[in-house]
Amino acid sequence: MNRIIILTPLVILLIICIFSLTYLLSGKDPNKPPSALLNKDVPSFDSISLYNAKETIKTIDIKNKKTLINFFASWCSPCKIEHPLFFEIRKKYPKLYLLGFNHKDQTADAKKYLEDDGNPYDFVGVDSDGLIALEFGVFGLPETYLINEDGKIIYKYMGPITKDILKNEIEPLL
Amino acid sequence: MSSLIGFLSLVFAIGINFYLILSRYIFKFKKQRFNFSIRLSSLLTLLSFFSLMYAYVTSDFSNYNVFQNSHSDKPLIYKISGTWGNHEGSMLLWLCMLSIFSFLFSFSKNIENNFQKLTLIIQAFLHILFGLFIVFTSNPFLVNSIFVDEGLGLNPILQDPGLAVHPPILYAGYVGYSIVFSIAIAGLFQNTDDEWLYVAKKWSLISWTFLTGGIALGSYWAYYELGWGGWWFWDPVENISLMPWIAGLALVHSLIMVRGEQAIKKWIVFLSILCFSLSVFGTFLVRSGILTSVHSFAADASRGIFILLIFFIITGFGFLVFLLKEPKKSNNLNLFFINKVSALLINNILMIIATLTILLGTIYPIIIEVLYNKRISVGGPYFNSTVIPIMIPGFLLMSIAPILSWQTNKINNSKKYVLGFIILSILVLIQSYFLDFNTWGFIGLLLGFWIILASIIAIFTSYKIKLNIKFFKIINPHIAHIGVGIAIVGITCSSVFQNELDFNLIEGDEFTVNGKTVLFEKIETTNQINFQALRGKFLYDIEKNLSKKIEAGKNYYPVSKMITSEAGILHQWNKDIYFILGDQKNNEWFVKVLINPFVSFIWLGVIVMMYSGLIAVTRR
Repeated sequence: MNRIIILTPLVILLIICIFSLTYLLSGKDPNKPPSALLNKDVPSFDSISLYNAKETIKTIDIKNKKTLINFFASWCSPCKIEHPLFFEIRKKYPKLYLLGFNHKDQTADAKKYLEDDGNPYDFVGVDSDGLIALEFGVFGLPETYLINEDGKIIYKYMGPITKDILKNEIEPLL
Repeated sequence: MSSLIGFLSLVFAIGINFYLILSRYIFKFKKQRFNFSIRLSSLLTLLSFFSLMYAYVTSDFSNYNVFQNSHSDKPLIYKISGTWGNHEGSMLLWLCMLSIFSFLFSFSKNIENNFQKLTLIIQAFLHILFGLFIVFTSNPFLVNSIFVDEGLGLNPILQDPGLAVHPPILYAGYVGYSIVFSIAIAGLFQNTDDEWLYVAKKWSLISWTFLTGGIALGSYWAYYELGWGGWWFWDPVENISLMPWIAGLALVHSLIMVRGEQAIKKWIVFLSILCFSLSVFGTFLVRSGILTSVHSFAADASRGIFILLIFFIITGFGFLVFLLKEPKKSNNLNLFFINKVSALLINNILMIIATLTILLGTIYPIIIEVLYNKRISVGGPYFNSTVIPIMIPGFLLMSIAPILSWQTNKINNSKKYVLGFIILSILVLIQSYFLDFNTWGFIGLLLGFWIILASIIAIFTSYKIKLNIKFFKIINPHIAHIGVGIAIVGITCSSVFQNELDFNLIEGDEFTVNGKTVLFEKIETTNQINFQALRGKFLYDIEKNLSKKIEAGKNYYPVSKMITSEAGILHQWNKDIYFILGDQKNNEWFVKVLINPFVSFIWLGVIVMMYSGLIAVTRR
């Protein structure tokens, strides 16, 4: 009896270590989905187009559309790295609505950036004061969100997306 | 250059520790030479840490770690705190603390020579484990491969004076338990006299006091920086600091029992191993990135596996020695229906149940995710409805425990306590009748005030009041419990009786908070050294001449493109008025005002507990 009691901590230790190890080896990255927003409704936003101040985009405009929202800026160098991937996405999934939010940027700089590197977005919204990013809980640029037809956030990624992430994590959801 | 010195001294320190372990079996050092080596290795570790700090202070961006986490515009204090504001540096701080504790322990007297040596050998073993971890997976002395003249900046949320000192103090608590661990293991191996229990008591009190301070600082920071109006969120990181804290509390109390009984030696050893294991486990959870929070800097699987291995080795080793070298059976406990021993025993059992409950809640999401590939989070509701009820009987018991007898089950002056309890119940009932009645509020207030009252009755009836140091040492247990009582009152009031008001305001608006008129003066933006500040300016109680200014707003840090919220808090002795500036829509600002009654009591209670922890260190 006494021995069993003394063995308990070792058994608990073993269980904890096995689970933790499995978790670590499974390659799960807690930085990806733990957003409080996951599976929640997309925050309401209201923004104007980078090219035409009269054109607006609101939460209701992306209803019933599968939407990929990407926060970017001309000053953000990691954004430049992921940028070409959006053209690939565009080509492969023409139905997906690509919405870019230009975060805390000068209009002229942003336009030049999209001219030089190309514009993969269906719509480029302006988030000059960062309020939309605040609503989304954007931590740093770039950040990418996938919203389903019901207006729920089903995926979030912090940092530049890569080919692997696109293939293994985003495409299965598309 | 400083990076090179830092790295070399780190490697040398680890080397010396290897040499020390070998020395026990091969070289057979004399005491002086042994102590010299251990101190040298400690000093080298310190040198390593200070060279990293020097690199931060001088903004030496040729060091990759400095480049990643610092910026030349930062004020000096955040350059210094930047040293441990990142994964690599904080692990070095951890090692540094370990060295400091070994260093101090090598000076302690009244310990048998061989015993001290064995304890330090175990410390050297721990030093090697963590040292290798730093060298192989978290080296803060890597050279930056590109030439830069500016750094990437420290996470703005960490740029706060309270948080600058929080990690060293917390680590002093965590790592302090390493000495307790080593002492206990050495005690198992040598199994001689029980002198080591007194040594363990001193060190566990020191660690516990630091841990208390560290947790309180973190909590206070969360209160004014995160802008959610609360100070405890049952965040995984908070939980893992709470576990060794509760286990440490149980340990300190068990060590008091040594005076009377012997049979709990086994239990003490168990708790000593548990405390340090929980500290290392906490480090693993945070550093592996298994949990996300402000504390997890970067997720890296190899780091996680390495530190899991360390956790496994330390804890496995500890409990294995415990299994094989079980302390000798000694006389049975002297248990009566209610005496000091049984009260302490019950309190110990409750604390361990609470610790396990928190442990379960903290690792449950990991287990579920492994088994079902589903992410869940266990939050406040689980912990509030399990941990608090478990602790309540313990709180009730602690109000009278210090005056119970070691041997008999008689309480002196029991009538006074009964009378005091009845009067107090009536008072609290009347109070809660006038405010909204709330069960938890009622229980919490009654419990908190009862602990304070019973301790005061005990002080006045059981001792002759004298105003000298010796008297304060004697009544110290009561003082500690009064601290807990004060904290419970604060916790209850601030959580149960919190009041929330929401406003949509334009500049120049007047509104009423708590019966006082508040003016929303204006919104102001200013440029500070390393951030832009947006502040809503409020004047509280404008009818009086001495109206108070409150500023609430946000900071924008251009280097890291981050926004932090800055709550505006008006501290009064009986309440905090907590302003949060929200978003702007069509010229209207969303303003949230929280009235948190008696928050200051929490911090006061913590200070009292820490005071009595320090006093207890000096008492034998």
